[in-house]
Amino acid sequence: MFIARKALPRRTFLRGLSATVALPFLDAMGPALKAAAPPPKRLGFVYFPNGAIINKWIPKTDGAGFEFPPTLEPLAPYREKLVVVGNLARAGTTIGDHAVAAAGWLTGVYAKKTEAENVLAGPTIDQLIARQIGQEMVFPSLELATEDFTGYIGGCTPGFSCTYMNTLCWASPTTPLPMEINPRVVFERLFGRTGSSAQRQARQAEDRSILDSISEEAAHLRSALGPRDRARLSDYLDDIREIEQRIDHRQARTDSAEVTIDAPEGIPESFEEHVALMFDLQRVAYQADVTRVVTFMMSREASQRTYPQIEVDEPHHTLSHHGNDPQKMAKNARINLYHVEQFAKFVEKLNTTADGDGSLLDHSLIFYGAGMGDGNAHATDPLPLVAVGGLAGTGNRHVLQKPKTPVANLWLGVAAKFGVNIDHLGNSDGVISL
Amino acid sequence: MVCFARCLRPIIFGIFIFTAVAQAQDSRDAARAAITRYCTGCHNERARTGGLVLNPASIPSPPETWEKVVQRLRMRTMPPSSAPRPNEKTYGQTVAWIENQLDAAAEANPNPGQPLLHRLNRAEYANAIEDLLGLKVDVTAMLPPDDSAFGFDNNASVLGLSPILLERYLTAADRVSALALADPTTEPSSETYSARQDLSQDQHIEGLPFGTVGGMQVEQTFPLDAEYEIRLSFFRNNLEIMRGIERPHQVELSIDGERIFLRTIGGPEDLARMKNPTDGSDAIDARFRIRLPLKAGLHEVTATFLQKRGFGTARLQGFVRSSVDTFEVTGRPHLEAITILGPYKPAQHSGKPGRLNFTCPQGISSCAREVLEPLARRAYRRPITAEDMRPLVAFYERGRAQGGPDRGFQMALRRILASPSFLFRAETSPEHLPPGALYVLNPVELASRLSFFLWSSIPDDRLLKVATSGQLARREVLESEVRRMLADPRAQRFVSNFAGQWLQLRNLRNARPNSGEFPDFDDNLRQGFREETELLFASILHEDRSILDLLSADYTFLNERLARQYGIPGIYGSNFRRVAVTQDARKGILGQGSILTVTSHADRTSPVVRGKWVLENLLGAPPPPPPPEVLTSLPDNAEGAPPQTLRARLELHRANAICASCHKLMDPIGFALDNFDAVGAWRTEDSGAPITATGQLADGTEVNGVIGLRNAILSRPEIFAGAFTEKLLIYALGRGLEPNDMPTVRAILRQTAPDYRIASIIMGVARSVPFQMRKKPED
Repeated sequence: MFIARKALPRRTFLRGLSATVALPFLDAMGPALKAAAPPPKRLGFVYFPNGAIINKWIPKTDGAGFEFPPTLEPLAPYREKLVVVGNLARAGTTIGDHAVAAAGWLTGVYAKKTEAENVLAGPTIDQLIARQIGQEMVFPSLELATEDFTGYIGGCTPGFSCTYMNTLCWASPTTPLPMEINPRVVFERLFGRTGSSAQRQARQAEDRSILDSISEEAAHLRSALGPRDRARLSDYLDDIREIEQRIDHRQARTDSAEVTIDAPEGIPESFEEHVALMFDLQRVAYQADVTRVVTFMMSREASQRTYPQIEVDEPHHTLSHHGNDPQKMAKNARINLYHVEQFAKFVEKLNTTADGDGSLLDHSLIFYGAGMGDGNAHATDPLPLVAVGGLAGTGNRHVLQKPKTPVANLWLGVAAKFGVNIDHLGNSDGVISL
Repeated sequence: MVCFARCLRPIIFGIFIFTAVAQAQDSRDAARAAITRYCTGCHNERARTGGLVLNPASIPSPPETWEKVVQRLRMRTMPPSSAPRPNEKTYGQTVAWIENQLDAAAEANPNPGQPLLHRLNRAEYANAIEDLLGLKVDVTAMLPPDDSAFGFDNNASVLGLSPILLERYLTAADRVSALALADPTTEPSSETYSARQDLSQDQHIEGLPFGTVGGMQVEQTFPLDAEYEIRLSFFRNNLEIMRGIERPHQVELSIDGERIFLRTIGGPEDLARMKNPTDGSDAIDARFRIRLPLKAGLHEVTATFLQKRGFGTARLQGFVRSSVDTFEVTGRPHLEAITILGPYKPAQHSGKPGRLNFTCPQGISSCAREVLEPLARRAYRRPITAEDMRPLVAFYERGRAQGGPDRGFQMALRRILASPSFLFRAETSPEHLPPGALYVLNPVELASRLSFFLWSSIPDDRLLKVATSGQLARREVLESEVRRMLADPRAQRFVSNFAGQWLQLRNLRNARPNSGEFPDFDDNLRQGFREETELLFASILHEDRSILDLLSADYTFLNERLARQYGIPGIYGSNFRRVAVTQDARKGILGQGSILTVTSHADRTSPVVRGKWVLENLLGAPPPPPPPEVLTSLPDNAEGAPPQTLRARLELHRANAICASCHKLMDPIGFALDNFDAVGAWRTEDSGAPITATGQLADGTEVNGVIGLRNAILSRPEIFAGAFTEKLLIYALGRGLEPNDMPTVRAILRQTAPDYRIASIIMGVARSVPFQMRKKPED
């Protein structure tokens, strides 16, 4: 059973709390069955933009018991469940800078230069894995972000579609997936509208019949269109079928889980609160087992966000072009650290959330990294990347690859870990097994 | 004598033809000679400078090459200043000749393109719901934002679909139909409206009652006749201490202008509560809650503070912005949010919040058809077939059987809003035509193009009627419809969607100038900036002025806050009014804070960004991106060295030939605007040194300051009008432009010169080949 209730003594939650009625999306429809099965494996990807000050990010020594770098310090308490992977590279060159960094991280592909509909990157590893392990889930995967890009007109890499920067996730080389920024919308998607189970069942039946009916209409409409439009409408028909499957999965769910979260009110003005809410939603989504794969773009490439809360008044992107000025580099590193601090709070929550015989962290593999090395030069490598969670293998390691190893090699190893057999991804030329 | 005229005519005609042919040959030879003399020295097979080879004998083919040449020649960016350049006359004649060839080729072989199947974007969806059902809904909580391409979010290339998006559109259909039919099972929920933290609330706020200061006003559609709870919360600082409560203040809550309560905040008792700030502040907030019955429909909820005479003398306020830091507790209290909860205890037979207010006697299907048919017609934007009606009636019957007629209509409406005919702007491809054939859109499809262009929404009944009857195909009917639509209040959506994106006014939302450098900047100013430019654009639209007025208008729209920023005396109050601009530098958008702020960094101006913005948006000549591996940030002042002006630091761009090739185009434009700081205030110094706002534009024109820059742009009005027309065409068609669209742009410019009236340009777009026609795909 999902129980949304008062949890944290923080203002955002407190304010929202009594304001909302958040009832379980499934009330008790059967006894708890989960004790019998082994806990599921969860996968997460957390992205930060504009590269990093690499010498503060990457450990100076490699192997077990490496020297902990200053930027990763907030993660030190979890070092036994953490692996830093060094010398990874994204595909392509620095042409296309921020666009190809975001689009290349999970694809291993150098995104095509175009502003038109012929965008081309690659299916992302999260989607490829979700397609296999997420099929029984209410949501095969979740795609989350924080920045409303509608206020960034003209802020995309020239010649490259904004899409490349607005999302990290691609269902296919030509299908970017939107990322949701509104915590309240995420909450409602996860836990649905309220009501008794009979009401919800009736609603789901109604959803099914609407879908059946519009798919008939779409098939009819398709015949009157030109070939390109017909292809677009075919995708729409596929989408309808996928949603039908989700409804079926929701109806098939008879187990129960108890989660603790309040319905958020919307997008908080504070970045820190916003990020905390999005992380909390990820935690409960894992906990309630409505999804096993989540990708979260904590901030967007070329973000011009300023961080007055840590006394950084210059915009992030501007600072990332530090020109090796020590003061700017220090501020940039401060932003890098601040982002890791936010991520570490999430890790801590995963670590303290019980799951089966251990914690959620024990049964997770969460990557935290970027598609750009040194932001100053839009470098393709070395990419900052750390894996956290019980599924990362033996912890407390800095695994150094040979220089410019495609990050896609790591993603192939991750797929194998989740029992998904993929023989190549983008520019992969090997497999890294953690 | 009879013979004279008759016999001579062929001869005269012959002479005329001969002369015309000879002239044409002359100008052809002259143009080719000019290209050979000035261009092919570098752009030949051997040198291939810039990867470009020009063969003057091939003009106008390939069009993408020659359109590029035309643009460079028009902008006078080629040949480079280091090489011999033609004189103005040769420039003009050569460009004109190449353009004529391109235009003639396009006319002989028009290509209107094939825009992709276009999903309603978020704004269009919200507008369609409002126009169809009379319901204002907060669509940002239902649908994710849309990607944009070529500068606009109505671009079909990025308006595809994915399972997540479809799921969201289906959820939206569910929500909206429940709202429209006042679904009695609607669960209580909450909406919170927050003020931005940098909103100054020590002055009167536009739109709020006179005699009040601060506060906010929200509009919300209430779903049922029911009870609702309204809660106010007040701003607290970082330590949870409530702001501005040393003294008592009166808080007024009103709905639709009628006072609901007047309660006191602050004073000794509240101040004493701050010994325990969180509990104390919670206790104060708890006093500002009320539960009350309200009718379904749109209501305006206002919370504000009564003005107190003489208040404020105890506080030394150094800045216009009332809350410079997050520890501040002095000054006035600030409203942080209005939260509305409900519905509770709904009435037995609730009214409906929107326009869909009708009653059908129980069980009469013909009545249902009478309601559903016009609804579907407007939603689908075309005549309704029996096949369209079948599922709607089926869903109606199914719902009616479950819960009566309203439930039936709710189901049928949900089905309409989920329909691909509603969600997609489909344009059919005629079966009988061969691939590659051109065809004129049918008038019903044209009506949708017009309404999404000018209203960002569905056509109204009248437009659909003239389309269905076929009259819209007539030029005078098209023109009168366009004029009618521009005069309609819905044209405001064109202002905010088109101008908001073209001029990047939407980016103001993300502008956060540092409070260290710009302590006066607050949300009041941010909103004011946007309003000023939108009002100017709207006035040009409504008065059918020249688009050039956007640069040179001798009037603008100001309130006190904006006038103070601009140093214009004598304007009091928060309301915007039309004001004559007497300072030449402030005329037009180049003197407006909106543009000057969105093209600046948080801590300083950016002549480069400003230059790029002008080139891209006003001159239609975007510079290429910086080459990879080039550091694009400026070094700071060296430690201990005397401070340098930004201009001196940007001189680096000239020192490097690679940088100089583009920065010599951008930087001088930005320097000309450097008397405006990063939030649009006038200044004469930077880092203690006087501003030097002089520079040389790409065509060699020396400019000094914003006035010189503006005059230089206005001296070649066809370039600015051309940039505007290009953007307008992208927006109207929902696709990027191809080289073979440029003849269309030039044709519109020729029709509308020299006045370039905005309605004429819009009309030119609406009549153009790509707007009126499609090409059947080849495959």
